[in-house]
Amino acid sequence: MKRAAAAGTLIPRNALVWIIISQFALLAPHLLRLPLWLVLVYLGTAVWRLLVFQGRASFPGRLVRASLALGGCVAVFLSYGNLLGLEPTVALLLIAFAFKLLELVKPKDAYVLLFLGYFICVIGFLFSQDILFVLYSLFTLVLVTTGLVALHRPREDHFRLGSLRLPALMLAQAFPLMLVLFFLFPRIGPLWTVPVKSHAAKTGVSDFMRPGDISELSQSDDVAFRVQFEGDIPPKSELYWRGLVFSVLEEGAWRSLRYNELPGLELRPPAVEPEGEPLAYTVLMLPTQQNWLYSLRYAQPAQRGILSTADYRLYSPVEIEEQLQYRVRSWPGTPLDPELSDWRRETELALPVQDNPATRALAQRLRDGAADSAAFVDAVLQYFRDEPFVYTLQPPLLTAENSMDQFLLQTRRGFCEHYAYAFVVMMRAAGVPARVVAGYQGGEINPVNRTVIVHQFDAHAWAEVWLEGRGWVRIDPTAAVSPDRIELGLEEAVAAEGSFLANSPLSPLRYRGVNWVNMLRLRYDALTYRWQSWVTGFDGEAQYRLLQDLFGSIRAPVFAGAILLSGVVVLVPVGWLLLQRRRPRPLPPEQRLFLEFCEQMRRRGMTRATGEAPGSFGRRVAREAPQLAGWAMQFIDAFEQLEYGGAPRDAAAYRQHLAGLRQQLRRVPGHRHQG
Amino acid sequence: MPVNAVETARSAAESGRFSRQFSRWLDRRIPPARSVTLDQRRIFIFPSLPGLFFFVLLLLILLTAINYQNNMAYAVAFLLATLFVVSILHTYANLAGLTLHALSATPAFPGQRSEFRLRLQRSGKAAHYALRLSWPQGSDSVVSLADRESCEVALYVPVGNRGWHNPGRLLLESRYPLGLLRCWTWLDLDLQALVYPRPLPTTAPPGGDGGRPEGNARETAGSDDFHGFRSYRPGDSLRQVHWKAVARGHSLQSKVYAAYASRTAWLDWEAFPGIATEQRLSYLCYWALALEKRGEDYGLTLPGVDIAPASGEAHQDRVLAALALYQHGAAAS
Repeated sequence: MKRAAAAGTLIPRNALVWIIISQFALLAPHLLRLPLWLVLVYLGTAVWRLLVFQGRASFPGRLVRASLALGGCVAVFLSYGNLLGLEPTVALLLIAFAFKLLELVKPKDAYVLLFLGYFICVIGFLFSQDILFVLYSLFTLVLVTTGLVALHRPREDHFRLGSLRLPALMLAQAFPLMLVLFFLFPRIGPLWTVPVKSHAAKTGVSDFMRPGDISELSQSDDVAFRVQFEGDIPPKSELYWRGLVFSVLEEGAWRSLRYNELPGLELRPPAVEPEGEPLAYTVLMLPTQQNWLYSLRYAQPAQRGILSTADYRLYSPVEIEEQLQYRVRSWPGTPLDPELSDWRRETELALPVQDNPATRALAQRLRDGAADSAAFVDAVLQYFRDEPFVYTLQPPLLTAENSMDQFLLQTRRGFCEHYAYAFVVMMRAAGVPARVVAGYQGGEINPVNRTVIVHQFDAHAWAEVWLEGRGWVRIDPTAAVSPDRIELGLEEAVAAEGSFLANSPLSPLRYRGVNWVNMLRLRYDALTYRWQSWVTGFDGEAQYRLLQDLFGSIRAPVFAGAILLSGVVVLVPVGWLLLQRRRPRPLPPEQRLFLEFCEQMRRRGMTRATGEAPGSFGRRVAREAPQLAGWAMQFIDAFEQLEYGGAPRDAAAYRQHLAGLRQQLRRVPGHRHQG
Repeated sequence: MPVNAVETARSAAESGRFSRQFSRWLDRRIPPARSVTLDQRRIFIFPSLPGLFFFVLLLLILLTAINYQNNMAYAVAFLLATLFVVSILHTYANLAGLTLHALSATPAFPGQRSEFRLRLQRSGKAAHYALRLSWPQGSDSVVSLADRESCEVALYVPVGNRGWHNPGRLLLESRYPLGLLRCWTWLDLDLQALVYPRPLPTTAPPGGDGGRPEGNARETAGSDDFHGFRSYRPGDSLRQVHWKAVARGHSLQSKVYAAYASRTAWLDWEAFPGIATEQRLSYLCYWALALEKRGEDYGLTLPGVDIAPASGEAHQDRVLAALALYQHGAAAS
């Protein structure tokens, strides 16, 4: 008996198989992020555990387990250089998950392992919340749950895919209520700081611009953000998404002003009276690990938590580590800084003292030939147009100390940042306040859902010059060199060169010409937008609006009531479905009458024994209670005739018989006295 | 030591009071019956230990979701929470509609184990898995009703003293499908095992003739009346050898034939004057077994009970039952 009890506490073979399958399924999405040796650890532990199952190896001893755990920590440290960031933590968790398999003896261990599996599934979402990945994770949840179920199935169960059915069904039944909780559960801010993705690259435009930086960024077909306009989408040539303003030129590179460089009066944006009709739109930005947000000119955030800077940009106080959705209104026609403060004028005119003498001389020459600042701007643009400048994704490296002299007079091949750089230097050299603006230009309009998709290759740099009476005016020198870039986009602008996404031959964006590929891509993108704005981007703000729409006002009782009610609505059908198949089939009426007869007899002290035939029970009653004999035998005869005899089975006769039987039962002698 | 004993007794009494109250409540809620179909009145359900740890896991996932502001982590937390709720229904449904029938309980001697037989039957088409049946202090058994309508289960319960042994309530529990919840019921299947007196060897009672054959037995090889077996001695006729036993692997035994003037023994209550009831019954039990083994006829006389001399298994059962139920008759009905 002792051995039987011990066997009963071991985990069934089938559960072991499902556990190993779910381990590998959970590991798979992390593969590209992990050092290769971790995969070998998984293979090793799985093989070891299977050998243990076959009796060809034994469980590792305490010493071996301790050294494995220590070795795992050391290996992670050597691979990542630390143990504290998110990635090393995940690697440690995955190692623990693998090693736990070697301790898998009892159901208790299996619970630990499978619960850890659920948690690792969640960890995956810290790296991606893509629709396809979420679907895959749902599948891993089914696998882990199958492991839990297999733990309780008979030991002799064999592996079959049908085992997935019940867990999938249960998760499907849980799904509707999950949705209710998802949308109604209050969203609160982080409770404490957590390890972040230390290895996640900062993406998008950086706050530091050297010639060549943006053309590098333009090799990427990643989506930077998606925009949904409430009204019509403005023409592409008007879509200048401002992200950064570079006011300082230092050591050949542009950078933006630091917060501590701003005098007290310049910290906040000057009050500006918006002009014209606003554009209202929502931006859904993917994580950049940076602080700045993108918006059209003169933007006001329509929600809390977003700041405006003195140079009219939007700024997030925290780095954007998760996707961020924000609503904005822009008044593109509004003049910015109609009055320029002395400090600002000085800043926007500053140039390193001896840099680029040829460029300065050129600027001075053009300025001398122009009547005013506006005419000077035109003259410079005309210069770009007239001279043989080439717009290219593959600009030559500028090596000289005076890089703009080299660019303007020698190479004359450049990407947007070269033109913006040169333009602003020339403006400043001639005494016109100017600065470089970086961000994105244009975007792809998805006809499926009318969103503007802005890719990394839409990254762009242009200039703003300050003109008396007009404030900051946007000037795009690139448009002078390559009007196609602004009107049509990068792909058309560099079509002759064939350099568009040259490094990603498989990007679906390269096959925009193939109609069905393009349609598929746009549909998937529309789905992704909906997914990101409604599901992964669902935040407290969105929740507030949803609840306002649903209930009018947000009160705790309404809230609790809604959750309870939806719980009932979802669970009652499930319960009904489950129990429907287990309800005892109702007995035929004559048998129910017989049971009633037995009950009456029991109250008189004559209990029908298990398996006693109705006939013999009737005879026993007749023997033990002679005063009931006649009645009991009559009843039993009638019953037996109906149950076993060839009594008529047609409906009318059957009912008649039944009525007779019922009457019999009612006429029990001494019924009233016995009560 | 006495202080400890008092305390132990007090705490035992206290826990006894609770368990008495609990069993009274159970008796009202689930009255004893030979066959019981499980429904919501009879099924209890509560999170198991892994189920409680599952809540810790949910909390961890929720904290991850909050701290990383990760909506998919929220979704998994809620999905697993509702999975738990859904599994309440599934775990309950795994017991619901199950019918247990009490079949039989074999008699046993004190200190031995009695075999209790039950039948489990499902009422619908749906399968029931991982049903664990056990009696307190008894063996347990795990069965499933997947591709069969019903099955029989044998459980072994050690029995106590002479009389009817009530094994208490049967525990039927299941954690299927996820193990996060434990669903159970305590059933009184109205099934009792008969416990015979403990046989105590004694010499033949002095003065009486109980236990001793009347008249003189004579071993006669040629006689036709079978008397019993004894070890083979050299010189025994080969026709006397009990070949069937040899075939079964036993040692050589010779059949002994005897003739008596009268071979009827009476096991008489009055043969042991001045000895306590239980001990008397134990002596009588010993002699009943001994005589049955020797193949002799024996009768039983107890106050109010008279069983005519005979032998054989059925007779032995009757005699032992009478001994077992002496002054316990009320419990039998």
